Amino acid sequence: MPAAATRDAVRPDLEDIFRREYQRVVGVAARVLGSRDQAEDVAQEVFLSFGRSPVPAAEAAGWLSVAAAHTALNLIRSGRRRASREESVASAAESVTPDVADTVLTLEDRSRVRAALARLPRTQATALVLRHSGLSYAEVATALGLSPGSVGTTVRRAELALRKELNRHASPE
Amino acid sequence: MRHPNEGVLRRLIDEPAGVSDADRAHVAGCAVCSRALDDARADAHLVGAALGGSGAVDADAAWARFSAASAPSTVTAFRPARSAGRNRWGTAVRRPAVAALGAVVLLTGAGVAAANDWLPIFQTERVDPVEVTATDLVQVPDLSSYGDLQITEEPDPEQVADAATARERTGLDVPEVAELPEGVTGKPTYQVAGVVGATFTFSAAKAAQAAAAEGEVLPPPPAGIDGSRIRFEAGPGVAAMWSQPTGVPTLVVARVGAPKVLSSGVPFETVRDYLLSLPGLPDGVAQQVRDLSTDAATLPLPVPAEMVTSSTADVDGSEATVLTSRNGLFAGVVWVEDGVMTGVAGTLSADELLAVARDLR
Repeated sequence: MPAAATRDAVRPDLEDIFRREYQRVVGVAARVLGSRDQAEDVAQEVFLSFGRSPVPAAEAAGWLSVAAAHTALNLIRSGRRRASREESVASAAESVTPDVADTVLTLEDRSRVRAALARLPRTQATALVLRHSGLSYAEVATALGLSPGSVGTTVRRAELALRKELNRHASPE
Repeated sequence: MRHPNEGVLRRLIDEPAGVSDADRAHVAGCAVCSRALDDARADAHLVGAALGGSGAVDADAAWARFSAASAPSTVTAFRPARSAGRNRWGTAVRRPAVAALGAVVLLTGAGVAAANDWLPIFQTERVDPVEVTATDLVQVPDLSSYGDLQITEEPDPEQVADAATARERTGLDVPEVAELPEGVTGKPTYQVAGVVGATFTFSAAKAAQAAAAEGEVLPPPPAGIDGSRIRFEAGPGVAAMWSQPTGVPTLVVARVGAPKVLSSGVPFETVRDYLLSLPGLPDGVAQQVRDLSTDAATLPLPVPAEMVTSSTADVDGSEATVLTSRNGLFAGVVWVEDGVMTGVAGTLSADELLAVARDLR
Protein backbone atom coordinates (compact mmCIF):
# COMPACT_ATOMS: atom_id res chain seq x y z
CA MET A 1 0.00 0.00 0.00
CA PRO A 2 1.45 3.39 -0.86
CA ALA A 3 2.37 5.13 2.35
CA ALA A 4 3.16 8.79 2.41
CA ALA A 5 3.73 9.51 -1.23
CA THR A 6 1.44 12.23 -2.47
CA ARG A 7 -0.55 13.96 0.15
CA ASP A 8 -1.88 16.97 -1.66
CA ALA A 9 -5.33 15.91 -2.83
CA VAL A 10 -7.15 15.09 0.38
CA ARG A 11 -10.87 14.58 -0.10
CA PRO A 12 -13.12 17.01 1.77
CA ASP A 13 -15.36 14.34 3.29
CA LEU A 14 -12.43 12.53 4.85
CA GLU A 15 -12.89 13.72 8.42
CA ASP A 16 -16.57 12.75 8.56
CA ILE A 17 -15.87 9.33 7.16
CA PHE A 18 -12.84 8.87 9.38
CA ARG A 19 -14.80 9.59 12.54
CA ARG A 20 -17.70 7.41 11.43
CA GLU A 21 -15.70 4.39 10.29
CA TYR A 22 -12.53 4.42 12.38
CA GLN A 23 -13.85 2.10 15.08
CA ARG A 24 -14.95 -0.48 12.56
CA VAL A 25 -11.72 -0.30 10.55
CA VAL A 26 -9.66 -0.83 13.69
CA GLY A 27 -11.97 -3.69 14.63
CA VAL A 28 -11.45 -5.44 11.31
CA ALA A 29 -7.68 -5.13 11.50
CA ALA A 30 -7.63 -6.15 15.16
CA ARG A 31 -9.48 -9.36 14.35
CA VAL A 32 -6.78 -10.27 11.89
CA LEU A 33 -3.81 -9.11 13.92
CA GLY A 34 -4.92 -9.70 17.49
CA SER A 35 -3.26 -6.43 18.44
CA ARG A 36 -5.03 -3.13 18.83
CA ASP A 37 -1.87 -1.09 18.48
CA GLN A 38 -1.02 -2.71 15.18
CA ALA A 39 -4.64 -2.42 14.14
CA GLU A 40 -4.56 1.33 14.73
CA ASP A 41 -1.43 1.58 12.58
CA VAL A 42 -3.18 -0.34 9.84
CA ALA A 43 -6.22 1.91 10.15
CA GLN A 44 -4.08 4.99 9.71
CA GLU A 45 -2.50 3.51 6.58
CA VAL A 46 -5.89 2.59 5.19
CA PHE A 47 -7.32 6.06 5.74
CA LEU A 48 -4.24 7.62 4.15
CA SER A 49 -4.97 5.63 1.00
CA PHE A 50 -8.66 6.34 1.20
CA GLY A 51 -7.97 10.06 1.55
CA ARG A 52 -6.35 10.05 -1.88
CA SER A 53 -8.88 7.77 -3.50
CA PRO A 54 -11.95 8.62 -5.56
CA VAL A 55 -14.09 5.98 -3.81
CA PRO A 56 -17.67 7.32 -3.46
CA ALA A 57 -18.65 8.11 0.12
CA ALA A 58 -21.51 5.62 -0.07
CA GLU A 59 -19.03 2.82 -0.70
CA ALA A 60 -16.54 3.97 1.90
CA ALA A 61 -17.53 1.52 4.64
CA GLY A 62 -17.06 -1.56 2.50
CA TRP A 63 -13.92 -0.26 0.83
CA LEU A 64 -12.30 0.63 4.13
CA SER A 65 -13.21 -2.69 5.72
CA VAL A 66 -11.81 -4.71 2.84
CA ALA A 67 -8.70 -2.54 2.72
CA ALA A 68 -8.19 -3.01 6.46
CA ALA A 69 -8.58 -6.79 6.17
CA HIS A 70 -6.22 -7.01 3.21
CA THR A 71 -3.62 -4.71 4.75
CA ALA A 72 -3.71 -6.66 7.99
CA LEU A 73 -3.53 -9.99 6.17
CA ASN A 74 -0.60 -8.67 4.16
CA LEU A 75 1.09 -7.74 7.39
CA ILE A 76 0.88 -11.24 8.82
CA ARG A 77 1.88 -12.77 5.51
CA SER A 78 4.66 -10.33 4.81
CA GLY A 79 8.38 -10.87 4.82
CA ARG A 80 8.37 -10.30 8.53
CA ARG A 81 7.00 -13.83 8.83
CA ARG A 82 5.33 -13.04 12.11
CA ALA A 83 2.62 -15.63 11.66
CA SER A 84 4.99 -18.54 11.22
CA ARG A 85 7.13 -17.40 14.12
CA GLU A 86 4.12 -17.09 16.37
CA GLU A 87 2.90 -20.45 15.24
CA SER A 88 6.24 -22.01 16.07
CA VAL A 89 6.10 -20.50 19.52
CA ALA A 90 2.53 -21.66 19.96
CA SER A 91 3.28 -25.19 18.78
CA ALA A 92 6.06 -25.47 21.30
CA ALA A 93 3.61 -24.96 24.12
CA GLU A 94 1.86 -28.24 24.77
CA SER A 95 -1.86 -27.98 25.28
CA VAL A 96 -4.04 -30.82 26.52
CA THR A 97 -7.20 -28.91 27.31
CA PRO A 98 -10.18 -31.00 26.24
CA ASP A 99 -12.60 -28.11 25.71
CA VAL A 100 -11.37 -26.05 22.82
CA ALA A 101 -13.66 -23.18 23.65
CA ASP A 102 -11.90 -22.75 26.96
CA THR A 103 -8.55 -22.31 25.30
CA VAL A 104 -9.27 -19.91 22.49
CA LEU A 105 -8.87 -16.79 24.50
CA THR A 106 -5.26 -17.43 25.37
CA LEU A 107 -2.66 -15.47 23.54
CA GLU A 108 -1.15 -18.59 22.07
CA ASP A 109 -4.40 -19.61 20.52
CA ARG A 110 -4.96 -16.16 19.15
CA SER A 111 -1.59 -16.53 17.51
CA ARG A 112 -2.67 -19.87 16.06
CA VAL A 113 -5.83 -18.29 14.75
CA ARG A 114 -3.82 -15.61 13.01
CA ALA A 115 -1.43 -18.17 11.56
CA ALA A 116 -4.42 -20.14 10.30
CA LEU A 117 -6.04 -17.00 8.91
CA ALA A 118 -2.87 -16.31 6.95
CA ARG A 119 -3.13 -19.73 5.33
CA LEU A 120 -6.78 -19.44 4.30
CA PRO A 121 -7.66 -18.44 0.76
CA ARG A 122 -7.78 -14.64 0.68
CA THR A 123 -11.52 -14.40 0.01
CA GLN A 124 -12.39 -16.82 2.82
CA ALA A 125 -10.21 -14.99 5.33
CA THR A 126 -11.57 -11.60 4.34
CA ALA A 127 -15.21 -12.70 4.36
CA LEU A 128 -14.76 -14.30 7.75
CA VAL A 129 -13.19 -11.22 9.29
CA LEU A 130 -15.74 -8.86 7.75
CA ARG A 131 -18.65 -10.97 8.93
CA HIS A 132 -17.28 -11.19 12.46
CA SER A 133 -16.71 -7.44 12.37
CA GLY A 134 -20.44 -6.93 11.96
CA LEU A 135 -20.89 -6.44 8.23
CA SER A 136 -24.13 -7.88 6.89
CA TYR A 137 -24.14 -10.65 4.29
CA ALA A 138 -25.17 -8.09 1.69
CA GLU A 139 -22.31 -5.77 2.67
CA VAL A 140 -19.78 -8.59 2.58
CA ALA A 141 -21.11 -9.69 -0.80
CA THR A 142 -20.83 -6.17 -2.24
CA ALA A 143 -17.42 -5.54 -0.74
CA LEU A 144 -15.96 -8.78 -2.08
CA GLY A 145 -17.90 -9.06 -5.31
CA LEU A 146 -19.60 -12.28 -4.19
CA SER A 147 -23.18 -13.34 -4.69
CA PRO A 148 -25.12 -12.90 -1.43
CA GLY A 149 -25.93 -16.60 -1.46
CA SER A 150 -22.28 -17.60 -1.39
CA VAL A 151 -21.27 -15.49 1.61
CA GLY A 152 -22.63 -18.03 4.11
CA THR A 153 -20.78 -20.86 2.40
CA THR A 154 -17.52 -18.89 2.30
CA VAL A 155 -17.79 -17.91 5.96
CA ARG A 156 -18.78 -21.44 7.01
CA ARG A 157 -15.80 -23.01 5.23
CA ALA A 158 -13.43 -20.53 6.78
CA GLU A 159 -14.83 -21.28 10.23
CA LEU A 160 -14.48 -25.01 9.65
CA ALA A 161 -10.86 -24.57 8.63
CA LEU A 162 -10.14 -22.47 11.69
CA ARG A 163 -11.93 -24.85 14.03
CA LYS A 164 -9.94 -27.73 12.57
CA GLU A 165 -6.77 -25.79 13.17
CA LEU A 166 -7.68 -25.05 16.78
CA ASN A 167 -8.68 -28.67 17.43
CA ARG A 168 -5.49 -29.92 15.86
CA HIS A 169 -3.41 -27.92 18.31
CA ALA A 170 -5.65 -28.28 21.32
CA SER A 171 -6.42 -32.03 21.28
CA PRO A 172 -4.20 -34.40 23.22
CA GLU A 173 -2.05 -36.43 20.85
CA MET B 1 -36.98 -31.84 0.08
CA ARG B 2 -33.21 -31.90 0.05
CA HIS B 3 -31.23 -30.38 2.89
CA PRO B 4 -30.23 -26.71 2.63
CA ASN B 5 -26.52 -26.23 2.02
CA GLU B 6 -24.01 -25.22 4.67
CA GLY B 7 -24.10 -21.57 3.61
CA VAL B 8 -27.82 -21.38 4.24
CA LEU B 9 -27.40 -22.98 7.65
CA ARG B 10 -24.68 -20.49 8.47
CA ARG B 11 -26.81 -17.55 7.45
CA LEU B 12 -29.63 -18.87 9.58
CA ILE B 13 -27.47 -18.09 12.61
CA ASP B 14 -26.75 -14.48 11.66
CA GLU B 15 -29.61 -13.38 9.46
CA PRO B 16 -32.56 -15.77 9.69
CA ALA B 17 -34.67 -13.28 7.81
CA GLY B 18 -32.41 -13.77 4.81
CA VAL B 19 -33.25 -17.49 4.62
CA SER B 20 -36.37 -18.66 2.82
CA ASP B 21 -39.39 -19.84 4.80
CA ALA B 22 -39.10 -23.25 3.21
CA ASP B 23 -35.51 -23.72 4.32
CA ARG B 24 -36.29 -22.54 7.85
CA ALA B 25 -39.21 -24.95 8.07
CA HIS B 26 -37.06 -27.80 6.81
CA VAL B 27 -34.28 -27.21 9.32
CA ALA B 28 -36.79 -26.96 12.17
CA GLY B 29 -38.10 -30.41 11.40
CA CYS B 30 -34.91 -32.18 10.30
CA ALA B 31 -32.66 -33.83 12.87
CA VAL B 32 -29.70 -33.91 10.46
CA CYS B 33 -29.96 -30.20 9.70
CA SER B 34 -30.52 -29.33 13.35
CA ARG B 35 -27.29 -31.08 14.28
CA ALA B 36 -25.46 -29.35 11.44
CA LEU B 37 -26.91 -26.03 12.58
CA ASP B 38 -25.70 -26.65 16.13
CA ASP B 39 -22.25 -27.45 14.81
CA ALA B 40 -22.19 -24.31 12.71
CA ARG B 41 -23.36 -22.22 15.67
CA ALA B 42 -20.64 -23.68 17.90
CA ASP B 43 -17.99 -23.01 15.28
CA ALA B 44 -19.23 -19.46 14.75
CA HIS B 45 -19.13 -18.85 18.49
CA LEU B 46 -15.67 -20.35 18.77
CA VAL B 47 -14.22 -18.36 15.90
CA GLY B 48 -15.94 -15.19 17.10
CA ALA B 49 -14.31 -15.62 20.51
CA ALA B 50 -10.95 -16.44 18.97
CA LEU B 51 -10.94 -13.44 16.68
CA GLY B 52 -11.94 -11.15 19.51
CA GLY B 53 -12.44 -7.45 19.05
CA SER B 54 -10.55 -4.26 19.60
CA GLY B 55 -12.64 -2.60 22.30
CA ALA B 56 -13.50 1.06 22.15
CA VAL B 57 -11.11 3.35 20.31
CA ASP B 58 -10.62 7.07 20.61
CA ALA B 59 -11.56 8.38 17.17
CA ASP B 60 -10.82 12.00 18.14
CA ALA B 61 -7.26 11.20 19.16
CA ALA B 62 -6.85 9.01 16.09
CA TRP B 63 -8.05 11.84 13.84
CA ALA B 64 -5.64 14.27 15.47
CA ARG B 65 -2.80 11.83 14.86
CA PHE B 66 -3.93 11.18 11.34
CA SER B 67 -4.23 14.89 10.53
CA ALA B 68 -0.76 15.56 11.84
CA ALA B 69 0.72 12.69 9.87
CA SER B 70 -1.03 13.46 6.60
CA ALA B 71 -0.88 17.24 6.52
CA PRO B 72 0.64 18.23 3.18
CA SER B 73 3.17 20.65 4.60
CA THR B 74 4.54 18.53 7.38
CA VAL B 75 6.79 15.58 7.48
CA THR B 76 5.51 12.62 9.46
CA ALA B 77 6.38 13.45 13.02
CA PHE B 78 8.50 11.17 15.09
CA ARG B 79 6.61 10.90 18.33
CA PRO B 80 8.56 12.30 21.22
CA ALA B 81 6.75 10.12 23.72
CA ARG B 82 8.38 7.07 22.23
CA SER B 83 11.62 8.64 21.21
CA ALA B 84 14.66 10.48 22.28
CA GLY B 85 13.81 13.73 23.92
CA ARG B 86 15.73 15.96 26.24
CA ASN B 87 14.50 14.11 29.29
CA ARG B 88 15.05 10.71 27.77
CA TRP B 89 18.75 11.23 27.32
CA GLY B 90 19.16 12.76 30.75
CA THR B 91 17.13 10.07 32.41
CA ALA B 92 18.94 7.34 30.60
CA VAL B 93 22.26 8.64 31.72
CA ARG B 94 21.06 8.83 35.29
CA ARG B 95 19.50 5.43 35.50
CA PRO B 96 21.31 2.31 34.35
CA ALA B 97 18.04 0.45 34.69
CA VAL B 98 16.63 2.51 31.87
CA ALA B 99 19.80 2.22 29.90
CA ALA B 100 19.57 -1.53 30.16
CA LEU B 101 16.64 -1.60 27.81
CA GLY B 102 19.26 -1.39 25.13
CA ALA B 103 17.44 -2.90 22.25
CA VAL B 104 14.38 -0.78 22.75
CA VAL B 105 16.39 2.35 23.08
CA LEU B 106 18.34 1.46 19.97
CA LEU B 107 15.13 1.83 18.05
CA THR B 108 14.92 5.44 19.04
CA GLY B 109 18.42 6.23 17.92
CA ALA B 110 19.46 7.27 21.39
CA GLY B 111 20.74 3.92 22.47
CA VAL B 112 24.39 4.54 22.18
CA ALA B 113 24.31 7.38 24.60
CA ALA B 114 22.10 5.51 26.96
CA ALA B 115 24.13 2.36 26.90
CA ASN B 116 26.31 3.00 29.85
CA ASP B 117 27.19 5.48 32.45
CA TRP B 118 28.57 3.51 35.35
CA LEU B 119 31.27 1.77 33.43
CA PRO B 120 34.87 2.52 32.88
CA ILE B 121 37.26 4.82 31.24
CA PHE B 122 37.48 3.82 27.69
CA GLN B 123 36.96 4.60 24.03
CA THR B 124 34.40 2.32 22.47
CA GLU B 125 35.83 0.21 19.70
CA ARG B 126 33.34 -2.62 19.82
CA VAL B 127 30.06 -3.50 21.45
CA ASP B 128 29.19 -6.65 23.33
CA PRO B 129 25.85 -7.42 24.87
CA VAL B 130 25.49 -8.03 28.58
CA GLU B 131 22.39 -9.99 29.43
CA VAL B 132 20.35 -8.58 32.25
CA THR B 133 17.12 -10.06 33.57
CA ALA B 134 14.11 -8.24 34.93
CA THR B 135 15.34 -9.13 38.40
CA ASP B 136 18.73 -7.64 37.61
CA LEU B 137 17.07 -4.46 36.48
CA VAL B 138 15.33 -4.08 39.78
CA GLN B 139 18.59 -4.71 41.59
CA VAL B 140 20.87 -2.44 39.58
CA PRO B 141 21.50 0.59 41.74
CA ASP B 142 20.95 4.14 40.62
CA LEU B 143 24.33 5.74 40.02
CA SER B 144 23.29 8.84 41.94
CA SER B 145 23.32 6.69 45.08
CA TYR B 146 27.10 6.62 44.86
CA GLY B 147 27.92 10.21 44.17
CA ASP B 148 26.80 13.26 42.24
CA LEU B 149 25.90 13.12 38.61
CA GLN B 150 25.74 16.26 36.55
CA ILE B 151 24.55 16.42 32.98
CA THR B 152 26.99 18.88 31.49
CA GLU B 153 25.87 18.78 27.87
CA GLU B 154 22.39 18.12 26.57
CA PRO B 155 22.13 16.60 23.12
CA ASP B 156 19.02 18.60 22.18
CA PRO B 157 17.72 16.14 19.62
CA GLU B 158 15.66 17.65 16.85
CA GLN B 159 14.20 16.82 13.50
CA VAL B 160 15.83 18.41 10.47
CA ALA B 161 14.69 18.74 6.90
CA ASP B 162 17.17 16.55 5.09
CA ALA B 163 20.42 14.62 5.17
CA ALA B 164 22.47 17.65 4.13
CA THR B 165 21.22 19.65 7.12
CA ALA B 166 21.90 16.70 9.38
CA ARG B 167 25.48 16.60 8.16
CA GLU B 168 25.88 20.32 8.55
CA ARG B 169 24.70 20.17 12.16
CA THR B 170 26.74 17.18 13.28
CA GLY B 171 29.61 16.68 10.88
CA LEU B 172 28.40 13.11 10.39
CA ASP B 173 27.22 11.63 7.11
CA VAL B 174 23.80 10.05 7.36
CA PRO B 175 24.18 6.47 6.17
CA GLU B 176 22.37 5.94 2.89
CA VAL B 177 20.26 2.83 2.52
CA ALA B 178 20.92 1.27 -0.88
CA GLU B 179 17.68 -0.69 -1.06
CA LEU B 180 14.75 -0.48 1.34
CA PRO B 181 13.50 -3.82 2.69
CA GLU B 182 10.09 -5.06 1.67
CA GLY B 183 7.37 -3.24 3.58
CA VAL B 184 9.43 -0.09 4.19
CA THR B 185 8.29 2.74 1.98
CA GLY B 186 8.35 6.48 1.69
CA LYS B 187 10.99 8.97 2.63
CA PRO B 188 12.76 9.03 5.97
CA THR B 189 12.70 11.78 8.53
CA TYR B 190 16.04 12.93 9.86
CA GLN B 191 16.96 13.44 13.48
CA VAL B 192 20.12 14.97 14.84
CA ALA B 193 21.49 15.23 18.35
CA GLY B 194 24.51 16.96 19.75
CA VAL B 195 27.04 15.66 22.23
CA VAL B 196 25.75 14.38 25.53
CA GLY B 197 28.10 14.84 28.42
CA ALA B 198 27.90 13.96 32.07
CA THR B 199 30.27 14.09 34.99
CA PHE B 200 30.10 11.78 37.95
CA THR B 201 31.82 12.59 41.19
CA PHE B 202 32.21 9.57 43.42
CA SER B 203 31.33 10.01 47.08
CA ALA B 204 32.43 7.31 49.49
CA ALA B 205 30.14 8.70 52.18
CA LYS B 206 27.11 8.63 49.93
CA ALA B 207 27.96 5.17 48.68
CA ALA B 208 28.37 3.90 52.24
CA GLN B 209 24.98 5.34 53.11
CA ALA B 210 23.34 3.66 50.12
CA ALA B 211 24.97 0.35 50.96
CA ALA B 212 23.86 0.62 54.58
CA ALA B 213 20.30 1.27 53.47
CA GLU B 214 20.45 -2.08 51.71
CA GLY B 215 21.96 -3.77 54.75
CA GLU B 216 25.33 -4.06 53.04
CA VAL B 217 28.79 -2.81 53.83
CA LEU B 218 30.59 -0.71 51.25
CA PRO B 219 33.89 -2.24 50.21
CA PRO B 220 36.76 0.08 51.21
CA PRO B 221 37.34 2.55 48.35
CA PRO B 222 40.82 2.34 46.82
CA ALA B 223 43.08 5.33 47.18
CA GLY B 224 42.10 8.22 44.96
CA ILE B 225 38.53 7.06 44.27
CA ASP B 226 36.71 9.20 46.79
CA GLY B 227 35.98 12.53 45.13
CA SER B 228 37.40 11.39 41.80
CA ARG B 229 35.60 12.50 38.68
CA ILE B 230 34.60 10.50 35.68
CA ARG B 231 33.43 12.17 32.52
CA PHE B 232 31.16 10.54 30.01
CA GLU B 233 30.75 11.72 26.44
CA ALA B 234 28.87 10.45 23.43
CA GLY B 235 27.66 11.93 20.20
CA PRO B 236 26.87 13.79 18.12
CA GLY B 237 24.40 11.59 16.32
CA VAL B 238 22.27 11.44 13.21
CA ALA B 239 19.43 9.12 12.33
CA ALA B 240 17.21 8.48 9.34
CA MET B 241 13.86 6.99 10.28
CA TRP B 242 11.14 5.40 8.23
CA SER B 243 7.96 5.40 10.29
CA GLN B 244 4.43 4.13 10.12
CA PRO B 245 1.74 6.79 10.08
CA THR B 246 1.43 6.60 13.86
CA GLY B 247 5.11 7.40 14.23
CA VAL B 248 6.34 3.96 15.23
CA PRO B 249 9.69 3.52 13.45
CA THR B 250 9.82 0.70 10.93
CA LEU B 251 13.48 1.24 10.15
CA VAL B 252 16.07 3.42 11.87
CA VAL B 253 19.59 3.93 10.60
CA ALA B 254 21.71 5.86 13.05
CA ARG B 255 25.31 6.95 13.37
CA VAL B 256 26.76 8.35 16.58
CA GLY B 257 30.11 9.36 17.95
CA ALA B 258 30.98 6.29 20.03
CA PRO B 259 30.81 6.74 23.78
CA LYS B 260 33.99 7.38 25.71
CA VAL B 261 34.68 7.88 29.35
CA LEU B 262 37.40 10.06 30.80
CA SER B 263 38.71 9.86 34.30
CA SER B 264 40.06 12.58 36.53
CA GLY B 265 43.08 10.40 37.10
CA VAL B 266 42.02 7.07 38.51
CA PRO B 267 43.14 4.18 36.29
CA PHE B 268 40.58 2.25 34.29
CA GLU B 269 41.11 -1.03 36.10
CA THR B 270 40.71 0.59 39.50
CA VAL B 271 37.43 2.23 38.61
CA ARG B 272 36.12 -0.87 36.88
CA ASP B 273 36.96 -3.26 39.66
CA TYR B 274 35.59 -1.02 42.35
CA LEU B 275 32.34 -0.24 40.56
CA LEU B 276 31.84 -3.92 39.91
CA SER B 277 32.35 -4.72 43.57
CA LEU B 278 29.67 -2.32 44.80
CA PRO B 279 26.74 -3.92 46.60
CA GLY B 280 23.60 -4.18 44.57
CA LEU B 281 25.08 -5.06 41.21
CA PRO B 282 23.90 -8.59 40.38
CA ASP B 283 26.78 -11.08 40.33
CA GLY B 284 25.94 -12.38 36.88
CA VAL B 285 25.96 -8.93 35.34
CA ALA B 286 29.19 -7.97 37.12
CA GLN B 287 30.89 -11.12 35.89
CA GLN B 288 29.82 -10.54 32.30
CA VAL B 289 31.11 -6.99 32.41
CA ARG B 290 34.35 -8.12 34.03
CA ASP B 291 34.85 -10.74 31.33
CA LEU B 292 34.53 -8.37 28.45
CA SER B 293 35.92 -5.11 29.75
CA THR B 294 39.56 -6.01 29.99
CA ASP B 295 40.65 -3.77 27.16
CA ALA B 296 38.94 -0.45 27.87
CA ALA B 297 37.44 -0.60 24.41
CA THR B 298 34.41 -2.87 24.62
CA LEU B 299 31.14 -1.16 25.42
CA PRO B 300 28.87 -3.49 27.37
CA LEU B 301 25.41 -3.01 25.95
CA PRO B 302 22.84 -4.18 28.46
CA VAL B 303 20.10 -6.21 26.82
CA PRO B 304 17.05 -7.63 28.58
CA ALA B 305 17.61 -11.39 28.51
CA GLU B 306 13.92 -12.28 28.57
CA MET B 307 13.15 -10.08 25.59
CA VAL B 308 16.19 -10.18 23.38
CA THR B 309 18.67 -12.67 22.01
CA SER B 310 22.06 -11.60 20.75
CA SER B 311 24.56 -12.91 18.26
CA THR B 312 27.35 -11.56 16.11
CA ALA B 313 27.73 -11.08 12.38
CA ASP B 314 30.23 -9.57 10.01
CA VAL B 315 29.39 -6.19 8.51
CA ASP B 316 32.01 -5.27 5.96
CA GLY B 317 34.87 -6.50 8.12
CA SER B 318 33.55 -5.21 11.45
CA GLU B 319 32.09 -7.52 14.03
CA ALA B 320 28.52 -6.41 14.62
CA THR B 321 26.23 -7.26 17.49
CA VAL B 322 22.84 -8.49 16.34
CA LEU B 323 19.93 -8.18 18.76
CA THR B 324 16.63 -9.87 18.03
CA SER B 325 13.52 -9.62 20.18
CA ARG B 326 12.26 -13.02 21.24
CA ASN B 327 8.81 -12.26 19.90
CA GLY B 328 10.36 -11.62 16.51
CA LEU B 329 8.88 -8.16 16.19
CA PHE B 330 12.04 -6.12 16.02
CA ALA B 331 15.78 -6.42 15.75
CA GLY B 332 18.89 -4.28 15.71
CA VAL B 333 22.45 -4.44 14.42
CA VAL B 334 25.18 -2.25 15.88
CA TRP B 335 28.91 -1.94 15.22
CA VAL B 336 31.77 0.47 15.72
CA GLU B 337 34.32 1.64 13.22
CA ASP B 338 36.87 4.42 13.62
CA GLY B 339 35.21 5.81 16.71
CA VAL B 340 31.79 5.97 15.14
CA MET B 341 28.99 3.66 16.15
CA THR B 342 26.42 2.73 13.55
CA GLY B 343 23.13 1.03 14.24
CA VAL B 344 20.34 -0.32 12.07
CA ALA B 345 17.14 -1.30 13.83
CA GLY B 346 13.48 -1.74 13.17
CA THR B 347 10.44 -3.95 13.04
CA LEU B 348 12.15 -6.25 10.56
CA SER B 349 14.04 -9.51 10.74
CA ALA B 350 17.72 -9.61 11.62
CA ASP B 351 18.50 -10.88 8.10
CA GLU B 352 16.75 -7.93 6.51
CA LEU B 353 18.57 -5.50 8.80
CA LEU B 354 21.94 -7.15 8.11
CA ALA B 355 21.29 -6.77 4.39
CA VAL B 356 20.62 -3.07 4.95
CA ALA B 357 23.72 -2.75 7.14
CA ARG B 358 26.01 -4.38 4.59
CA ASP B 359 24.73 -2.18 1.79
CA LEU B 360 24.94 1.15 3.58
CA ARG B 361 26.72 3.82 1.56
